[in-house]
Amino acid sequence: MDKVDSNGCEEGVSATFVFRSRPNQSLTRGEQRVVFWTLAMVCLGTASGFALLGYWPILPFAGLEIGLLAWAHEVLRTREGAYETITIEGDKVVLEWQAGTRADHREMNRRWARVTCECASPGRNCHLRLSSHGRDTEVGQYLSDEARLRLAATLRRKLRE
Amino acid sequence: MSDAAHAHDEHGHHAHPTGLMRWLTTTNHKDIGSLYLFFALIMLFMAGSMALLIRAELFKPGLQLMHPDFFNQLTTMHGLIMIFGVIMPAFSGFANWQVPLMLGAPDMAFPRMNNWAFWLLPVAGVMLLGSFWLPGGAVAGGWTMYPPLFIQGGVSYDLTILAVHIMGLSSIMGSINIITTILNMRAPGLTLMKMPLFCWTWLITAYLLIATMPVLAGAVTMLLTDRNFGTHFFNAAGGGDPVMFQHIFWFFAHPEVYILILPAFGIVSQVIPTFARKPLFGYASMVYATASIAILSFIVWAHHMFTVGMPVAGQLFFMFSTMLIAVPTGVKVFNWVATMWKGSMTFETPMLFAIAFVCLFTIGGFSGLVLAMAPVDIQLQDTYYVVAHFHYVLVSGALFSIFAGIYYWLPKWTGHMYSETLGKTHFWLSVIGMNIVFFPMHFLGLAGMPRRIPDYALQFTEFNQIATVGAFIFGFSQLIFLTVVLKTIKGGAKASDRVWEGAEGLEWTVPSPAPYHTFETAPVVK
Repeated sequence: MDKVDSNGCEEGVSATFVFRSRPNQSLTRGEQRVVFWTLAMVCLGTASGFALLGYWPILPFAGLEIGLLAWAHEVLRTREGAYETITIEGDKVVLEWQAGTRADHREMNRRWARVTCECASPGRNCHLRLSSHGRDTEVGQYLSDEARLRLAATLRRKLRE
Repeated sequence: MSDAAHAHDEHGHHAHPTGLMRWLTTTNHKDIGSLYLFFALIMLFMAGSMALLIRAELFKPGLQLMHPDFFNQLTTMHGLIMIFGVIMPAFSGFANWQVPLMLGAPDMAFPRMNNWAFWLLPVAGVMLLGSFWLPGGAVAGGWTMYPPLFIQGGVSYDLTILAVHIMGLSSIMGSINIITTILNMRAPGLTLMKMPLFCWTWLITAYLLIATMPVLAGAVTMLLTDRNFGTHFFNAAGGGDPVMFQHIFWFFAHPEVYILILPAFGIVSQVIPTFARKPLFGYASMVYATASIAILSFIVWAHHMFTVGMPVAGQLFFMFSTMLIAVPTGVKVFNWVATMWKGSMTFETPMLFAIAFVCLFTIGGFSGLVLAMAPVDIQLQDTYYVVAHFHYVLVSGALFSIFAGIYYWLPKWTGHMYSETLGKTHFWLSVIGMNIVFFPMHFLGLAGMPRRIPDYALQFTEFNQIATVGAFIFGFSQLIFLTVVLKTIKGGAKASDRVWEGAEGLEWTVPSPAPYHTFETAPVVK
């Protein structure tokens, strides 16, 4: 199976081609947990200290804040699951994508699939689309312009093979 | 049907509403940044007008213009609005505009929460200003809200507590957004130690806000329950401890002081290298110094309370820990000077404000060191020396850095160059005016004039008159600033993408004005 990384660079040559990309996230899941717990412990520690002295009304506010932080943490975790996959196998081109709770997929016939890549100015603000039977689907939305152009070239070649 | 359109919709590229609805519903970081900055500008003129009324009353000894209670309302509201309505929102405006641009991110991490965080602020602002028209007038117990005064006032005290809660909620939402954006949305290759210093200072500021805001919320809630629900947390009549409020309040408010100044350090650290045409000297030490200041800010709170009575060991601890903060602050001042050293310097308005910041903030820092000494502080507590100290920190520190930042990034935001002549006029009048207002206050304080009084002994007259003249020069020179901002928004010479010759960073790679959507795909930083 061929794989292409999220920069649009090909990794091998065989019958099935798979391209998968994800949105840019600078933090790993472990680092996200460290950020959350560092903030939560400082908040909770301070509030608990004051609560022990009898000034307990600080504690519920710390709790609410940690709750809001936890929600933010959860949203990031959900976003982590976003992806976009292009698979070319046999006669089929399969597009799959997921963003948040929404997921969808589309299949095209390999012979009818067309690749277009239009840039607003040379090499900048490029839109990469796969189209078939009058419908076009934008792909490569998590990629840089350079990577989109490379992916467009790779897809054209793979569709011709 | 085109799936492309669907995909575009999912990423928020659809046509956005116009007119009032655009500003009410916007989730765009640039729009929200502009809203914060305009809000801060309006509040600056409100709270500034209050300061002019205060100074007009103090022009002569005796009571001239107002009742003492109204004078106290003005000093309290001036402080509250300047802190929560001007400085903090202005820095949030900068963060909204600049952090995504500097990181190569398309927007803030939570755009809808960002919209909420802003729109809570005008609500709180209206509550604070509206309290002037309530029976008994606005709060008059000082921005520090100390009991027993604060548990004895009228209905405006409850309204102020509610306003503080709302502003706190807004700050927490803004901070979570900023932390998440900075940590999770950096462009590939932009490691933490490659980040612009402005982002670092805001990251640390946001941590401080998150750590301290529940303490403020809890403290004012206890005031509220003492006032209305028969509790006695701080009510000595019922066995409560009013001094403990001061401990809790300053546990929040001393870090708050750094919340008001750390983003200023970030702005100046962007401006000075640009106009010195040299990279920032000692980048890593700047980051560590900022973090050290933030950590130390949690263990110095009681230096605001040397006169309430505490053991000598406590006084010594808080005295030495406070003095320790001078070390990382000194590192910063040294690095800014070293950045300018042998640089190809030019003196455009942002650089002038940044240099004034370094010189005058240092004066504020030194008077802070004087106040850190417990035996000296006991003499100077609640005198005009303290007023001089914190205005050197917050006016020539925070406010001048805001001016520096506005002049620096305004061409990027509007696409037009501002008038350098008007900018420099604004600078010189502000610097001269500011020093005429606040420098004599050192002498007034050393001579024993207490703060928060509408009347004073005759021997203080001359210095007060000088300060009042300076206040009017400083106050009216801000109309020049307003003119510059409005003129630049309306038109002017076209700004290039990289507005300043020495400017470095991702924000200068996008066109001027920065397009409504930038970095839809993350740039790669090498």
